[in-house]
Amino acid sequence: MIDTAPKPAQANASTPAAALKMAARGLDFHYGDIQALRGVDLDVAERQVTALIGPSGCGKSTLLRVFNRIYAIYPGQVASGQVLLDGENILDPGYSLNRLRSKVGMVFQKPVPFPMSIYENVAYAIRHYERLSRVDMDDRVEQALRQGALWDEVKDKLKRSALGLSGGQQQRLCIARAVALNPEVILLDEPTSALDPIATGRIEQLIAELKEHFTIVIVTHNMQQAARCSDHTAFMYLGELVEFGATTQIFTNPARKQTEDYITGRFG
Amino acid sequence: MAVSGSARPQRQAATTQFAERLYRRRRLSNAIALTLSCAAAAFGLIFLFWILWTTVSKGIGGISWALFTQPTPPPMAEGGGLGNAFFGSMVMCVLAIVIGTPLGIAAGTWLSEYAGARKLGTVVRFVNDILLSAPSIVLGLFVYTLVVAQMGGSFSALAGALALAFIVLPVVVRTTDEMLRLVPTQMREAALSLGVPQWKVITQVLYRGASAGIVTGVLLALARISGETAPLLFTAFGNQYWSTDLMRPMASVPVVMYQYAGSPYESWQLLAWSGALVLTTFVLLISLAARALLLRNRVPND
Repeated sequence: MIDTAPKPAQANASTPAAALKMAARGLDFHYGDIQALRGVDLDVAERQVTALIGPSGCGKSTLLRVFNRIYAIYPGQVASGQVLLDGENILDPGYSLNRLRSKVGMVFQKPVPFPMSIYENVAYAIRHYERLSRVDMDDRVEQALRQGALWDEVKDKLKRSALGLSGGQQQRLCIARAVALNPEVILLDEPTSALDPIATGRIEQLIAELKEHFTIVIVTHNMQQAARCSDHTAFMYLGELVEFGATTQIFTNPARKQTEDYITGRFG
Repeated sequence: MAVSGSARPQRQAATTQFAERLYRRRRLSNAIALTLSCAAAAFGLIFLFWILWTTVSKGIGGISWALFTQPTPPPMAEGGGLGNAFFGSMVMCVLAIVIGTPLGIAAGTWLSEYAGARKLGTVVRFVNDILLSAPSIVLGLFVYTLVVAQMGGSFSALAGALALAFIVLPVVVRTTDEMLRLVPTQMREAALSLGVPQWKVITQVLYRGASAGIVTGVLLALARISGETAPLLFTAFGNQYWSTDLMRPMASVPVVMYQYAGSPYESWQLLAWSGALVLTTFVLLISLAARALLLRNRVPND
């Protein structure tokens, strides 16, 4: 039971020696007395999409929340082990949260636009890091909204409240907001579970575009989504990483029985 | 075969009959419950409208320009108004809001954002609830011993405003705390995940999300203190004349009403009724404004 997944052959067809961007090493996580992650080792390749799948409560969201230390706002939640970003351990108390979160952005399950205008939603985050002239800021906001595939829909109503957008638009606004800071990694926590199929399709298309520039880690309950838009897939169960490999390999030829049972819908 | 064939429709008929009876009984109990609850609602409303009607019919005769401009008259004299009382009420209420609101918002923010479910937070919340339901005369006495007695027994508008601020404070603490806790956790996480520090998240994102609720709380606190008499009796005391000095006694509408309504002079009684009408109208308008504000800010989806 100590074993995590025996690392299957990484030099797979779909992974032409991508550089390592983030990595978990022997990561444990506790919610008070409950242990949610047990010795997780995971490699996240640069400018590729890594999907985390597994049944509810398996720790996949927890793992994602460690990657930008958003868990740290709750007392009693403790991560131990190592999470490396470009070789530096972000769990080191000396690693500044400000620096970490400017490099690792996050988008949540439920779209949460701030109660401000569409423009301000994007500009708010930028303003925290940079002082820009009005014109430069307009450019940056436009660029971010374009990257979020939202510009054409909102360019005439930038001053209107973001709360009036549809759910799918709100989620793309949240992605644009995260992208606006020019992060290196974007974490997506079930970004489409609150959206209809059409909005989901747009977000998946967006993910494919974003991976040109960003490293993406996505948690999803939707098996097809993982198969469609990820390069690597990690299957987790009961806080352990059961199997990790190229998405095609995980979905066509899983090495472990548990993985096969889960992706074929026999449990979970 | 033939036996069971004939028994079946019989059983079915019995079942239908039973269901029919059950249905009739339920309709009857529904009718009774509906009648009782309507009667209870009507009972409450009748008294409410009776009070309103009495206030309007007795007070409308005294409504004039002079009511707002003339100071309170001496007994038996003709004319006069409640000008100094309206002015005093306004000064003390505004002052109380100005003192109570920032303190209340700060404390409510601490409760919601920093104390959370910690022991100290629970204790403070409980104590605040006690303050919320404390009899207002007790607050008046408290300020009397704390301020008036310390200043050589001189009543002052400032002391009155302080007593009112003690009523504003717990209301604002409570609404701020509750409204901030209504803001979804994910909004905090989303803002924090951008690397924005917590104090900025609170002041720039969460306050915007909760602003309508907090302003409503302040308005309701204003509505409440504008009619408070007890805390002003030993603090602002009252004043027959125009006074703008915060360190001197000051008139207020509820205290003047209390004195004039109990007097034998008809002109004073009329002034008391008019004051009651103006005060009631003011409170009604404030409540309507608070409701409108909440409705306007309701987010269309979810």
